[in-house]
Amino acid sequence: MKIKINFSSILSQLLLLFFVILWITPTFGLFISSFRDKDQLAISGWWTSLVTTEVNEIHRTKGKKDQVEDEGFYIIKGNLFKKDEGKKVLSYGVTSKNINAYKVGEIAILKDKSEIIVFENGNYQWKSKSEFKKKKGRRIFITATSPPSFTLNNYKEVLFKEGLGQAFLNTIAVALPATLIPLIICSFFSYSLTWMNFFGRDLLLATIIASLVVPLQMSLIPILTIYNDLGALFNVEAKSFPGVWMAHTGFGLASTTFLLWNFMKSLPNEMLEAAKVDGASHYDTFVRIVIPLSIPAFASIFILQFLWVWNDLLVGLVFLDKHPSEIILTAKLKELLGSRGENWEILTTGAFISMTVPLFIFFSLQRFFIRGLVAGSVKG
Amino acid sequence: MNILKIKKFILAITLLVFPTSIIAGSGHYHYDGPDISGAKVKIFGPWLAPEDESFRDVLSIFEKETGASVEYGGSDEFEQIINIDCKAGNPADIAVFPQPGLAANIAATGCLAPQGNDLKQMVLDDYAAGQSWVDLTTYADENGKDQFYGIFFRVNVKSLVWYSPDNFEDNGYEVPQTMEELISLTEKMASDGNTPWCIGLESGGATGWPATDWMEEIMLRTHPPSVYDQWVSNEMPFNDQKVIDAMNFFGTFALNDKYVAGGSKAVATTGFRDSPKGLFTSPPQCMMHRQASFIPAFFPEGVEAGVDYDFFYFPAYSSKDLGRPVLGAGTVITATNNNPATTELMKFLMHPEAHERFMGKGGFLTPHKGVDKSKYASDTFRGLHDILVGATTFRFDGSDLMPGAVGAGSFWTGMVDYTNGKSAKDVADEIQTSWDAIK
Repeated sequence: MKIKINFSSILSQLLLLFFVILWITPTFGLFISSFRDKDQLAISGWWTSLVTTEVNEIHRTKGKKDQVEDEGFYIIKGNLFKKDEGKKVLSYGVTSKNINAYKVGEIAILKDKSEIIVFENGNYQWKSKSEFKKKKGRRIFITATSPPSFTLNNYKEVLFKEGLGQAFLNTIAVALPATLIPLIICSFFSYSLTWMNFFGRDLLLATIIASLVVPLQMSLIPILTIYNDLGALFNVEAKSFPGVWMAHTGFGLASTTFLLWNFMKSLPNEMLEAAKVDGASHYDTFVRIVIPLSIPAFASIFILQFLWVWNDLLVGLVFLDKHPSEIILTAKLKELLGSRGENWEILTTGAFISMTVPLFIFFSLQRFFIRGLVAGSVKG
Repeated sequence: MNILKIKKFILAITLLVFPTSIIAGSGHYHYDGPDISGAKVKIFGPWLAPEDESFRDVLSIFEKETGASVEYGGSDEFEQIINIDCKAGNPADIAVFPQPGLAANIAATGCLAPQGNDLKQMVLDDYAAGQSWVDLTTYADENGKDQFYGIFFRVNVKSLVWYSPDNFEDNGYEVPQTMEELISLTEKMASDGNTPWCIGLESGGATGWPATDWMEEIMLRTHPPSVYDQWVSNEMPFNDQKVIDAMNFFGTFALNDKYVAGGSKAVATTGFRDSPKGLFTSPPQCMMHRQASFIPAFFPEGVEAGVDYDFFYFPAYSSKDLGRPVLGAGTVITATNNNPATTELMKFLMHPEAHERFMGKGGFLTPHKGVDKSKYASDTFRGLHDILVGATTFRFDGSDLMPGAVGAGSFWTGMVDYTNGKSAKDVADEIQTSWDAIK
């Protein structure tokens, strides 16, 4: 039997694998990190999340308030760990100069002749012949093993305390209408551009395509000025959800129309002519024939527009107010990057939450996406 | 009069005085505004969590007393958004500026509304060094005429060095009282094998700003305040030898691998929020951290003021007779229109109760003389308050006063270049060139 080896196929497969790994690795890291305990996250990478790591920590004993007298000795007792995380002390020290001077279970004799002993589970005992005078306790430096620890607290904190939950809902309130409105408008529009004959049709199409090159940044201030005038005229807020829907609709309409027009053009002419012969009006043709045939195109345009709106920061920042009831997810994440930039558990969790919806949309509609993209590329 | 009678007399007086004093006290401190129910005020500022909640809490007093509703929204894109909103003609009613320089720029476009004399008088009367605060919020309007635009609310003291008293105790270090002592302490720490300083300049788009604070502190400690003012206004060019010397002095700390945690290469890439954490690691990565009064917000969770950390005044030279200069910064509150509600809100923000509410939340320092110091959330802030009002020279953050292109641009990037090895002369020349370009 002859084995055929297709090198170009293997190469493309390898290339594909490479890109998959390139994309999956950071996503996976983000996913793992968002569930990790914040103290561990701060000191070690996500790839070490399943192994026990060694950590150096500083803890403080209780102060003079908690001392008890026992057979001529003054004793302060307690546990160094605030909560039980399964950490095990390996060695400890009593000054910052030598943080692992003593093995666990060894007695450290301090300058004032008092004795400290630390046990594996974090229990400690500090014994002195004279009364303890200091209000604050003594620092104990420990080297301990820290078992893997995963938690849902990050999500709890981000969603409810940091206000990301509200921002998530705000983004949905922006993204769904801002996707559906242009989709509805452009479907009618593309139909009329493709199958209806009227004066100036080609010019109109050319204008739309030309408007694709206008950067949206240029139109931010003029549009906001118009909104302000409109808002003053009707006594409504200039920055509001309907405003941002209209803005996204306007910015997205040219490209969605162009894509859908491209697709509808490829529908077989004969089918629509047959409908006409049978006496169907334009509306009937549109609703009964063109829409059902265009579902893949609709889906792919839905994905594109939805992802665009979901990930948008600029339009949302400009056309919405900054208070919690209107702030969008990307703006909130940006804000967290500034205010909680050192708290990785907050950032990784926030980033993962913002990714969930695009991932869900993409995976649930991807069949359409591929069909939609190739649709119109081959004319039959 | 016998003793019994005296006792009765005292009792009577205390009975008389006590309740009235409580009533008088609360009457004095309690804000009592006019009824402006139905009015709506929108505020836009740079404060994000956790300050935004504290500020909303302050505003709730106003809402309760006047019946008006106030909405605060914050963004770290403050500068861009206020520009867009002003150009479009619909900014929030009240704008909280993170820097007076930025407020001056916006005032020059005519977007801000000048405030009345009664508010100005309140600042003059109630703030320590009132005139200097008024000067800092007096800008040219669109016609070039100087107008009073707003009030400082929430001030930072910058001239502070944070340290761990335990680490100092373990090594037998003393808190330095003079710059000479600070320099010799730095040398001693390095020779003991400890790293004296944690310096981090990374701050996203604003990377480099902590180094500009160092420069300002050094300028104030090596030259009289008049030189500082000339430097900030560019009457003295940025590439003057005095400035270059100051930069090189900063370099003796930041460019010495033994003096700074992670080595000089790490200075520009370490986040300013992360850098103070080195004080609290085991073993400590550094002994001291120079930063403004807001920094404890970024210390690790659970560390306690006065126990795990403390601060001392970034000292002045004993050999130079320049007093105790203090560097500070603050946020400016301005109004974009003068309707009854915004005017009343501005007055409310000068009321002691507004300050005290924020003080109790922490992270708030005020030059207001009429506040009750015991309302501060911690002793740390009482100590900071004393440094603020005990300053012989108070100067505002110079980079905030310089034009945005320099103070929030070439000065920042220049300091990053300097820590990455560029010579002080080249950096100063470049900054001066960028300043000339906008004149």
